[in-house]
Amino acid sequence: MIDFERVGLVYGRETVAARAALEDVSFSLPDGSFTFLTGHSGAGKSSVLRLVARLERPTRGTIRVGEDDYATLPPRREPALRRRMGIVFQDSPLLAERSVFDNVALPLVIGGYPFEAIRTRVGAALERVGLGARAAARPSALSGGERQRVGIARAVVARPRLLLADEPTGNLDPAISADILELFLQFNAAGVTVLFASHDTALLEGFDFPRLTLVAGRIADEPPAR
Amino acid sequence: MSPRRPRETPDDDGIGPRWSYGRGGYALAQSLRQLAARPVASTATLLSLGITLALPALLLFLSAPLEAITARALEGESLTAYLDPATADLDGAALAAELAARPDIRRTRYVSRDEALATFRAHRDIDDSLAVLGENPLPGAIVVHPDTTALGDRSVETIARLLKGLPAVERVQVDLDWVRRLQATLSLARRVALLLGGLLVATALLVIVNTVRLELVRRRRELELATLLGAGAAFAHRPVLCTGLLLGGLGGIVACALALCALLLLRGPVGELATLYGSSFRLPLPPPGEPALVVLVSTTLGTVAALATLYTTSVRRTAHHPGTS
Repeated sequence: MIDFERVGLVYGRETVAARAALEDVSFSLPDGSFTFLTGHSGAGKSSVLRLVARLERPTRGTIRVGEDDYATLPPRREPALRRRMGIVFQDSPLLAERSVFDNVALPLVIGGYPFEAIRTRVGAALERVGLGARAAARPSALSGGERQRVGIARAVVARPRLLLADEPTGNLDPAISADILELFLQFNAAGVTVLFASHDTALLEGFDFPRLTLVAGRIADEPPAR
Repeated sequence: MSPRRPRETPDDDGIGPRWSYGRGGYALAQSLRQLAARPVASTATLLSLGITLALPALLLFLSAPLEAITARALEGESLTAYLDPATADLDGAALAAELAARPDIRRTRYVSRDEALATFRAHRDIDDSLAVLGENPLPGAIVVHPDTTALGDRSVETIARLLKGLPAVERVQVDLDWVRRLQATLSLARRVALLLGGLLVATALLVIVNTVRLELVRRRRELELATLLGAGAAFAHRPVLCTGLLLGGLGGIVACALALCALLLLRGPVGELATLYGSSFRLPLPPPGEPALVVLVSTTLGTVAALATLYTTSVRRTAHHPGTS
């Protein structure tokens, strides 16, 4: 469960260039849900995801993810919190000098998994995103869609309970975008909670999932039912 | 210079060696990969470190042989305490034995009045003069050979003062001016060596700090990514510590190799010089413990430099982002 209650976020609070990214944002997403987070560029979608991933601190309001109340979460527990999430970005940052296998294996190495588990899980994740044959390739040898698939494989390899996607189809053509979205739907069908941010409303046509629409840092729609 | 792309072969499955997927192994593999990715820069750094640490290493390797030469040169030196003529031979011999028990005295020899007279009589001219005097005018004496350590520092003056303070001693002859000069020269040389060694070690420290700092900048993207994926500070810091440790250790090995080469080059000329002075002295190779000590110290230096870099970087980051931790 993800709970936002009257959350506000101001960037550069101590400077003259202070800018409110989010204001009075409240919503609640149940476990296993698939939610679209939409809005124009700069509406605050990334800020919501960064707050969920605890990469930012809210200026006001409270955030709860699962059992964790972020107001009382000590910094030393943040890495473990992030290990329970998968995060996919618009341009999935990959390690250029490492193979696809190594890129996908990174969360498992961080999590201290044994080698056999790493080999098995990375192989399975790459198969799942259709890159089983590209394990040895370097990121520079991949297309944009393949790079994004590597990012998704890396996000799901540790089998997180929550998957955050920040414009994962932003740089891809419509056909590949649909494939990528389909992958997220498959993970959701397996029980993973997905928060999928995209400004591309056309991509989301035909899906009957709850939507949170942000306009200038505020929720424009009614929040989904608790 | 752009990093070389790792080779891909048809049987390359993209999986590295098993050990490189453990947390410690990953850090080591990352550091080795960074060093290998820029071979020219890495070699230049290691050579800078090696050359910087080679002189302190050479000084260490030479210190024991130089101490041995000094000790050998000082071995025959002695102080002579002339006793009151009224002192009986038994008392004189007992005093000599008592003095020999001191830790700063290597040995003593009691020269009785009769022995002194016999020695003098060996010289024909003096023998004639003694015959005129009738009775033996020579006092008994104790020849004191200080320990070489005592000769090496200033405790020889302490021994002289001790002898002068003894009731049975009438006069003390100290002919050790050259020893004092040698002591002063050695003391100066030690201080210069320490100063030079300290400066060079500090230089090595700065070289490692600079290299580690550059690596932190190069790996910023990777560190940010690791943080996003749930890495804690230990995971992010381990490869940096590993790099410091590797640079220090490898720099120490290069330094030892260079110092040993220099030592081998010096051996011949030093041996020839010693032969000219009638000595059989040869410059020995250092015992294995000394190169090991150099590598240990330089590895520690590398680790300290990496820790200092991480500490200053994290302090600066905290200062820039007081709201985050």
